[in-house]
Amino acid sequence: MTPMIDIVFLLLIFFLLSPSDDPGQAYLTTNLPNLGQSGLPGDDIYLAVEIELQVPEANTRDVVIVLKDGRCFGRNFEGLMAALADMRARGLPADHPVLIRPWMACRHQWVVRAFDTAVAARFENVHFAVPYL
Amino acid sequence: MHRKVRRKSSASGAVSFNMTPMIDCVFQLIIFFVLTSQFIQLQIEQVTLPLSFAAKPKDVSEYLNVVINLVDEDDPKCMVLGQQVDYRVIEGDNELSRLLKDRKQDAGEGKPLNVILRADALIPYEAVASVMLAAGRAEIEGWWITTEIKDMDEVLKD
Repeated sequence: MTPMIDIVFLLLIFFLLSPSDDPGQAYLTTNLPNLGQSGLPGDDIYLAVEIELQVPEANTRDVVIVLKDGRCFGRNFEGLMAALADMRARGLPADHPVLIRPWMACRHQWVVRAFDTAVAARFENVHFAVPYL
Repeated sequence: MHRKVRRKSSASGAVSFNMTPMIDCVFQLIIFFVLTSQFIQLQIEQVTLPLSFAAKPKDVSEYLNVVINLVDEDDPKCMVLGQQVDYRVIEGDNELSRLLKDRKQDAGEGKPLNVILRADALIPYEAVASVMLAAGRAEIEGWWITTEIKDMDEVLKD
């Protein structure tokens, strides 16, 4: 019996320890601006739909969503999604640039939520503003 | 003083060795080295990932990646391969951008290298932007944000 028990133990150890991909983990993918070239964004970025993520008070984890046209959604990402979906319905193409411009103190979760919302509204060309540029 | 060595012998008198313990040991060593190398490749730190409904699962092992962990919301630290790396924005290259440039050079010409960001959900954007800038200086274009995937309703309620 010894060899069989050995092999069973080996298989048990292997399947217990082998790191499996967490099925709940996923990735949002985008491209960074290539700073090796001019260091400046392309012209199309000035036409982008801009989503500003403001922080209402210092040291708060809250967020206020403001579009470039001045519309403010508070923390209502569903409202933002409806506004973005409306832009798409009015003929803005899927590859029209969307620029997310978070304040420095804005929490990462809100930046991801804004990216999610733009993707859910079927925009495919979503970028982040890097303020040091 | 002579030690008596016991050997199994068949009825005909031929000597035979029991190979089972040696094969066991070899298997154990193979499994140990395979698993430890896989854990090193994961390059991950414990973070609370942001929730997402639009993110897509991907097989990370199919790409050439550098995993950058951003931990501790109060005093953000950048961890790469278990080492703390200075990512603060300075004039010219910082430690992180130098590390990324080296990795890109090691990868070879024409091979795309991705940065996989694993940032805590409550990390301020300032830290993320600093890492983005370092990756931009290293001319890395692929930017993957690791998230925990949930249903849209669940995320929007959060």
